[in-house]
Amino acid sequence: MKEYLLNFPDAWQFNIGTAIDDWIKNFSRTHREILGFIKRSVITSIKSINELLSIIPWWLLILIVMLLGWRVSGKKRVGLLYGVMLFFIGSSGLWDHMLETLSIVIASVILSVLLGFPLGILLALNKRADGIVRPILDLMQTMPTFVYLVPAVILFSVGMTPALMATTIYAIVPMIRLTSHGINHVDTEVVEAAIAFGSTTLQSLVKVQIPQALPTIMAGVNQTIMMAMSMVVTCALIGANGLGMEILVATNRTEMGKALMPGICIVFIAIILDRLTQGFVDNKEYNTFFRRRPMR
Amino acid sequence: MLRRTTLLFVVLFGLLTIVGGCSGDADEIATVIITATDNGWDSQMLHNEIAKLIVENAYDGYEFEVSTGSSTMNWQAIIAGDVDLDIESWTDNVATYEDDKANGDIVDVGILVPDSAQGLYVPRYVIEGDSQRGIEPFAPDLRTVEDLKKYTDVFPDDEEPERGRVYGSIPGWMADEILYKKYEYYGLDESFNYVRLGSEATLFASLTGAYNLGEPWVGYCYEPTWITGKLDLVRLEDAPYDPDLYMDGKCSFPEQELKIVSSNKFADKAPDLLEFFKNYKTGSQLISQALAHLDDTGATHQETAVWILKENDHLLDEWLPAENAEKMRAYLDSIDNN
Repeated sequence: MKEYLLNFPDAWQFNIGTAIDDWIKNFSRTHREILGFIKRSVITSIKSINELLSIIPWWLLILIVMLLGWRVSGKKRVGLLYGVMLFFIGSSGLWDHMLETLSIVIASVILSVLLGFPLGILLALNKRADGIVRPILDLMQTMPTFVYLVPAVILFSVGMTPALMATTIYAIVPMIRLTSHGINHVDTEVVEAAIAFGSTTLQSLVKVQIPQALPTIMAGVNQTIMMAMSMVVTCALIGANGLGMEILVATNRTEMGKALMPGICIVFIAIILDRLTQGFVDNKEYNTFFRRRPMR
Repeated sequence: MLRRTTLLFVVLFGLLTIVGGCSGDADEIATVIITATDNGWDSQMLHNEIAKLIVENAYDGYEFEVSTGSSTMNWQAIIAGDVDLDIESWTDNVATYEDDKANGDIVDVGILVPDSAQGLYVPRYVIEGDSQRGIEPFAPDLRTVEDLKKYTDVFPDDEEPERGRVYGSIPGWMADEILYKKYEYYGLDESFNYVRLGSEATLFASLTGAYNLGEPWVGYCYEPTWITGKLDLVRLEDAPYDPDLYMDGKCSFPEQELKIVSSNKFADKAPDLLEFFKNYKTGSQLISQALAHLDDTGATHQETAVWILKENDHLLDEWLPAENAEKMRAYLDSIDNN
């Protein structure tokens, strides 16, 4: 009697672990073609992004970033600072690693935006979808990465494909959340006015709500980029090369100094990407015809 | 409403205290807690469970705990003295081992597994085929590491199909550095990519994934481990071990001794346990068998540890002083009666 009060009864415990293992292994055998197709298309797209980045000479990329930094912030020294940061990455001998890391980040950000933006709109418009998807988003952010990484490796083998999956699962969430949030919080009077002037739901969405919500949506893109950057080391665990792999090799050998350099590089890239996209949001605000309302 | 909830909690809490209070008997012998590393691989978990059974039941006044973490972090914890023991220590893979030993930060206690192996492995069906699964041999003449050069197209790299792919060891292990030199030495770098995966979990997942599909795979693996116990793998041959050539990757890995390493405080903390840990010795075959048993029956590591000790009664005499061995036997028998 006392046993049952203090410890969870043994008889009520169950184990479905092996059944799931067998199911996944069986699935990978029976769906070989489609899994292979997904794998090949992911690899091709990431590799073409990497090739595109590699075509740009290093000095041109630094110049572009300096120019953008200057334009976005309006200060010459900010542009110069970004240039110095990129130059530092190059002089640490990590330029190619940076490009490899960036290709996975860019690919997963593109995928997150493509999937997250329409999904966010759906969530804003449909309360029932919102109720279903929201707990799934919580799951995606909190489920420890390894729980789905190992099955991803069984299904897609190691390398870019599971890396892209892991990064997207983690980074898509702010895109969906902030898109839906932005659209939900557009001033109701503005939407009512649009409806009163005879616009359809679609017209009101495309011409009023989305432009109004754009600053929030762009903040979502910005957050997505930051979260994708934070997955770089996790991706190295499944064999994605780049800065994360450098960190992993160094930390596994307790070479703290050697791990610091790629670590700093990741911070620099994150800062540059963050400020540039944020600057884009701020500029948009000035250019938008509608004045931005305080978010409620 | 709020008051009623509060009352409910107070009553529940009171009940739990009473029930809990009854179960706690008042024998307050000061127990010493022994902490060992748990770096996340199966054979070590099993070795830890065996040690736990013995430390807690053949001796009085000890409790056995594990510290779960990465091997690198746990190694630092031993140096700091926060963790007492590293049972099944792959010291050849720890870059700073010799220095730490010379500095007196760690102490060699004993040799746990005298005959481990590591190197490049392929599933047996790659060489011999598997008629049951309908797999033709992919590389019938593959014997040595050098032979791999002839079979680039058998092991294609998904991300660069014109080149082959060989899976390296875990980044940061000595084995990985040596393996990379071997890869260059045999000229595999001309036609193969050397792919490092960040952890054993993913390395073994990639092997399991390929094995499941009956696809070719070549890469680093080691014994004893559950995966060599469970899958039928073949280690590629290499030149015989030579201590002068070994670090340059020009010959096979030696049979590595897996040690029991302790912090420098352990001998003072638990002097009577020291004798057990000096004698505690298993072997590659025994552990692979046990891990296969674990996998087949779905038993826990703890149940498997009991199983090993019961099946191999003579181990108790080899490991323990007579009186402790008797105590342990009595305990193992008492489990049976439950």
